[in-house]
Amino acid sequence: MSLIVAEDLAKSYGRVVAVDSLNLKLDEGSVTGLMGPNGAGKTTTIKMILGLLKPDKGWVKVFGQDPWDNTAIRSMIGVVYEKAFFPSHQKTLDYLQRVCRIFGVSESRAMEVLELVNLQEASDRDIRALSAGMLQKFAIAHALVHSPKLIVADEMTANLDPQARSELLDVVLKLHRDEKVAFLLSSHILPELSRVCDSVAIINRGKVWAFGKLSELYEKYAVGIIRVTTDNPYALEAEIRKLNYVKELESDIRGISVRVAEGKEDKLYEDIPKLAKKIKAKILGIETGSASMQELYRLAISAKERK
Amino acid sequence: MTSMGKGKPFLEVLSSAIHEDYRFPFLEVFAFLYGLGTFVFASFGVTITATGATNQVTATANEVVAYGAVSSILSLPLSIFIILVFKNIAYGLGSDLEKGIIQTYFSYPLRRRGILTAKLLSALGVALLLFLGIQISGLYILAPDIILPQLGTVLLTYAASLSYPLLIAGIMLLLTLKLRRGGISLVVGLVLYFAMSIVSGIATIFAIVTETPLSLQIISAISPSIVLTQYYGGTLGNFWAPAFSEVLLYTGVSYVIVAFVFVLGYTYFSRRLNL
Repeated sequence: MSLIVAEDLAKSYGRVVAVDSLNLKLDEGSVTGLMGPNGAGKTTTIKMILGLLKPDKGWVKVFGQDPWDNTAIRSMIGVVYEKAFFPSHQKTLDYLQRVCRIFGVSESRAMEVLELVNLQEASDRDIRALSAGMLQKFAIAHALVHSPKLIVADEMTANLDPQARSELLDVVLKLHRDEKVAFLLSSHILPELSRVCDSVAIINRGKVWAFGKLSELYEKYAVGIIRVTTDNPYALEAEIRKLNYVKELESDIRGISVRVAEGKEDKLYEDIPKLAKKIKAKILGIETGSASMQELYRLAISAKERK
Repeated sequence: MTSMGKGKPFLEVLSSAIHEDYRFPFLEVFAFLYGLGTFVFASFGVTITATGATNQVTATANEVVAYGAVSSILSLPLSIFIILVFKNIAYGLGSDLEKGIIQTYFSYPLRRRGILTAKLLSALGVALLLFLGIQISGLYILAPDIILPQLGTVLLTYAASLSYPLLIAGIMLLLTLKLRRGGISLVVGLVLYFAMSIVSGIATIFAIVTETPLSLQIISAISPSIVLTQYYGGTLGNFWAPAFSEVLLYTGVSYVIVAFVFVLGYTYFSRRLNL
């Protein structure tokens, strides 16, 4: 069953086109990432999915229904916004108990969800006294109160430190594994998405540029990529660039990702040690087909632009 | 998940809104000020004095006394009520929209109109209840023999006096929803409130000079306390001595306008408000 189907979705703010003819389909039990740069249209897409914005064109169905002012859908979705806001002069546990009553679930669920996000010690704190990280965890707890089938999260880790980010992603994995909760996660922090998502939709300029299972996308866009890990990537990059069968390459602090012409992978494996020896660089590893999410994103975008 | 009625989410959102709008010490301070205004300014003599040469008041003496009593206790508490309502709409609803708390409410199984009703019941309903509760209790304690036989006059005086503040509240609601913040709507609300004193003053002078009540009649359609003043203690009796039915008509029309503005607000919030 498809949880979310969007077809030909479009939304503009004045002359600025935020989303343009966007198509998307999200299946039950999946963890799908909406991946794209700032201003790509991720938040606008999510707001249309949640019924906060009316599309100018096209339609979106969530659980087979129009999400605008639809109370039935709200009982099946949990929502986490980039900046979480709640009535601030109430205590965390009190407010979650209120939310339990709103959704008609036992009030004991409030403490359960606080424990799930390791926030039980802040149960008697005012919401306004929570730090940014704690507030975001609280937002996740808030989204889980009614045990939704789907959680839609917009840049939920944007304001968090690495430790808190990691903990939140653990929560996502746990919920997906143990409670079969589906997720739609928007983020521009690609390593995060690669950790938890099984599918990704790459959004750029308001359109879905690539969509599918991660494995399929790697197969489609990252074939012929060889990852070289070295102690001197920038010097080695200059040498590799001179090879005439190298089509694309990108280096970072730990290594270089190289895309070669078809059938030239073995040749690169032969040449790399020679080039490294020449510049006295140490090779720490060579792997085929291990492009990072960042590279996958870049490759998908450039493939689309070439079309 | 257990099944649930439709009332529970509404009551919880209402209770949350009341908790935020009237957190300590707002409720206590405003209740004290209402009490103070009611008991300190109460006057049970006829306070309306005729300045015109011939004053053709059509109301009975008892009605005029009741009207004068209500007017005396209304003066300060009405201003306090307006401050509270303006705060709740501009600061309360405005900041809820601006910060995203309304977005959070939109994740609950409650229709948009239910959420707005809960917010307005807190912002306006509770403020009104507090205001009228203290005022009418005060009147009853101070002068039951004047008030009880003239309950119609008392209620009409409140209805006529509250209609313009409610109209401003409706306009502020529209502005707050459209702009999704409360600052500008608060300024507009205050300007409209003070503008009425100036406009009614100008209209009165215009009416006296031209000896025609048209300007006052027009303003009475949005602020029926003007026609009410003329009915109970008119100073312009020479050319405008409104009948009771006229008072009811202007008051009714003013509430139709108030209702129209609030319906506009509801329609916008339910069908068009993009967050």
